[in-house]
Amino acid sequence: MAEVTVTAPVASPERPRKAHPFRDVLVRRLGFGLLTLIIVSILVFAATQILPGNAASAVLQNTATPARLHALELQMHLNRPAVAQYWSWLTNLLQGKLGTSLVSGASVTSLIGGRIVNTAVLMLLSGVIGTVIGVGLGMLAAARRDSWLDHGLSVIALAVTALPEFVVAMGLVVFFAALIWHLFPAVSVFPPGASPWSSPSLLVLPVATLVIVIVPYTFRMMRAAMVDALESDYVEMARLKGMSRWRVLAVHALPNAIAPTIQVIGLNFLYLAGGVVVVEYVFNYPGLGQALVNAVSDRDIPTIQFIVLLLAAFYVAVNIVTDLISLAATPRRRLPRS
Amino acid sequence: MALSRRDFIKTAAAGSLALGAGGVLSACGLNAATVADVVHRVPGPRKHGGTLRCAITGGSSADTIDPLAAVANTDFSRVNNLFEPLLGLTPNAEPMYVLADELTPNATATEWILRLKPGITFHNGKPLTADDVIYTFQTVMNPKAPGAAAAGLASIDAKGMTKLDPLTVKIPCVTPFATLKQALAIPTYSDVIPVDYNPADGIGTGPFKLQSFTPGTQSVFVRYDGYWQTGLPYLDEVVITDYSDATSQVNALLAGEVDVVNLLSADVIGIVESQGKNILISNGGGWNPFTMRVDVAPFSDVRVRQALRLLVDRPQMREVLFGGHGTIGNDVFGIWSSDYDHSLPQRQQDIDQAKYLLKAAGHEGLSVQVVSAPIGQGTVQAAEVLAQQASAAGANMNVLQVTVDDFFGTNYLKWVFAQDYWYFNFYLPQVSLATLPTAPFNECHFDNPRYVALYQEAIATIDDAKRTELAYEMQQIDYNEGGYIIPFFPPVIDGYGANINGLLPSKGGLSLNAYDFSQIWLT
Repeated sequence: MAEVTVTAPVASPERPRKAHPFRDVLVRRLGFGLLTLIIVSILVFAATQILPGNAASAVLQNTATPARLHALELQMHLNRPAVAQYWSWLTNLLQGKLGTSLVSGASVTSLIGGRIVNTAVLMLLSGVIGTVIGVGLGMLAAARRDSWLDHGLSVIALAVTALPEFVVAMGLVVFFAALIWHLFPAVSVFPPGASPWSSPSLLVLPVATLVIVIVPYTFRMMRAAMVDALESDYVEMARLKGMSRWRVLAVHALPNAIAPTIQVIGLNFLYLAGGVVVVEYVFNYPGLGQALVNAVSDRDIPTIQFIVLLLAAFYVAVNIVTDLISLAATPRRRLPRS
Repeated sequence: MALSRRDFIKTAAAGSLALGAGGVLSACGLNAATVADVVHRVPGPRKHGGTLRCAITGGSSADTIDPLAAVANTDFSRVNNLFEPLLGLTPNAEPMYVLADELTPNATATEWILRLKPGITFHNGKPLTADDVIYTFQTVMNPKAPGAAAAGLASIDAKGMTKLDPLTVKIPCVTPFATLKQALAIPTYSDVIPVDYNPADGIGTGPFKLQSFTPGTQSVFVRYDGYWQTGLPYLDEVVITDYSDATSQVNALLAGEVDVVNLLSADVIGIVESQGKNILISNGGGWNPFTMRVDVAPFSDVRVRQALRLLVDRPQMREVLFGGHGTIGNDVFGIWSSDYDHSLPQRQQDIDQAKYLLKAAGHEGLSVQVVSAPIGQGTVQAAEVLAQQASAAGANMNVLQVTVDDFFGTNYLKWVFAQDYWYFNFYLPQVSLATLPTAPFNECHFDNPRYVALYQEAIATIDDAKRTELAYEMQQIDYNEGGYIIPFFPPVIDGYGANINGLLPSKGGLSLNAYDFSQIWLT
């Protein structure tokens, strides 16, 4: 209780510049983020150069006669030195040109613009639903600590944590689509240009898979943080004052339990950026993950670069956002350290 | 000849009445009497209309609808419905006329006269003429941007081609080319494109025309009303969707969300059939060989190559990889070619002889590395099984697995001991691609003067019987000295829904009778 009531910017008058903790964090992290993206782009480009073969040989496969290979390499401008290729990519990027796919000749944005939306829908839906369910169940379990419900949820969460996402996905398909009940589509195929929400039933199983995978983490963290909070002196105090059980949970315990949970929620979103690859694969969902896998096997460098940078930017953004939110949820951390 | 009557009656008796082949057979023109006979036996009416939903694996954003650039199964499934060849393959893997009406050589096989069928139009309404054929070959053979068929048709003098009349073309050859009919019959090799062709618009003479196409995702084709084969196609629409793996493909088939799926593994046959769906197994002539470089030790010693061939327990390998489906190989390619020598004794596992040969070659306890990649059906498992079987003779074989792109990267055609995959090709055309010192894909670096001399004689021999004799002698050399181990010709296992009719097993090695959807009808 003492910790919470300390409200004293006055405690360190010698560091007045700490008055804008949000802005400071934001500026510093954005700077580092940009640096990270540039390094990532160099690493990705270097990695594609080290791999044997190039886009031309990947496209032609076993039909690659020297003449065909040479013609295609010329057409793809692969005959230029690697550094020159990187430099023209970077300068184009700075001019807002995101590049054209080596293998299809179309602009990267036109190829994967729709896929970005599809993946974003999948991630956001799963992330939000998973967070709400995880936080809700965590609170419930903590409030009914040591009940059969609490133990049951914990055991299930532990079991689900042990299942890789493709097992969860296949299980859902077997039960709800292909073999036992034919309730939902087994694959989430929709025509190019159509939006995923035009037939929401296509989203059910992929979202359910991702929700099942991320809920246990949020649940366990929320439960633990909530249990801590409920054991604290201020909650004891609130109860003794005769507050309602609900009010104690929502107003006194939740704000203090949410800060550590936000980190886990952030991690979940980061996981989703990679986890969708597997889920998109199983459901043949036309998203970014599939596009990245394709681009790598085609050695389609501009497309690889764009998708990887997009994912890296997402990582950076989620990290910054979670830090800012936990800063907001933890008044103590906004104070200058003495 | 096309399907024999016996084959047809057998098919009918088996209940899998896949008799949509009328169009193919009449297009064949090589055996008109039998064809007419068969068509009249087809019972029951066929229904027009409906959409066929296809889940095809193997695609990526490199997908194309350009027949000159087709590589993957997704490409073939699209190209084969938009475009048509001069000659194609019957389900029995024999050449048949499609757009061509006749193709006749001169006495030395240095010049061919091609006559086109009349009354054929492209999707834009333009009639098919000799100009389109000449344009096609000149585009395919363009030295600056050669098409996939350029290597196989290298003997054609595309620049020297001349139009004799609107439907007749003279095709001169730079060297004798007695196997032109066979070479043109390979899928997409003689697909005809119109003059002023644009690779993006998919305008061919095929049964379906392009409505939309997104590489790596999906294509929609609709019925071409001006199609020259009267009554075909039955379907109104074909939707081909790229699938990234076989699991989602099978799930979609079982859930009834797609109608046909290609290239399944033998493991799923049971589950697909138990759910009321159908399996189509074709004994394809495609082949996934092991390639030993005959110019690099230890494989430069023919005894080592023969020892490795004797190490393979072929029936066991076929059982492990394909559940006993497919055809056992005899280290010679071109199994459904009319000049394939079926009289060569079937090579069987002989550990003692293999050990003896290795010892004689000074390679007792041979230790080698085989480079493998998931390039074809069962290739990686084949390498693992081979390594296992080799250990029986005290040979130590290490499997180095790389990715498909690494495999076809800078080391392709240079690997010392590796694998490859080939679609079906006739024996002599395949030789020109892979086993001559001048061949573009001579992965074994095979260079045998006697073999080359025989080939040159064969390629100049118009008489089928005489040419076959020469081919037999070449196959003796393949069998006794070649760099390939061909343990099996993999089966092609496809799945289709209960309401799909008109699918035939075929020997060409491509799925779903080379993706010929013009014959399919729905009930």
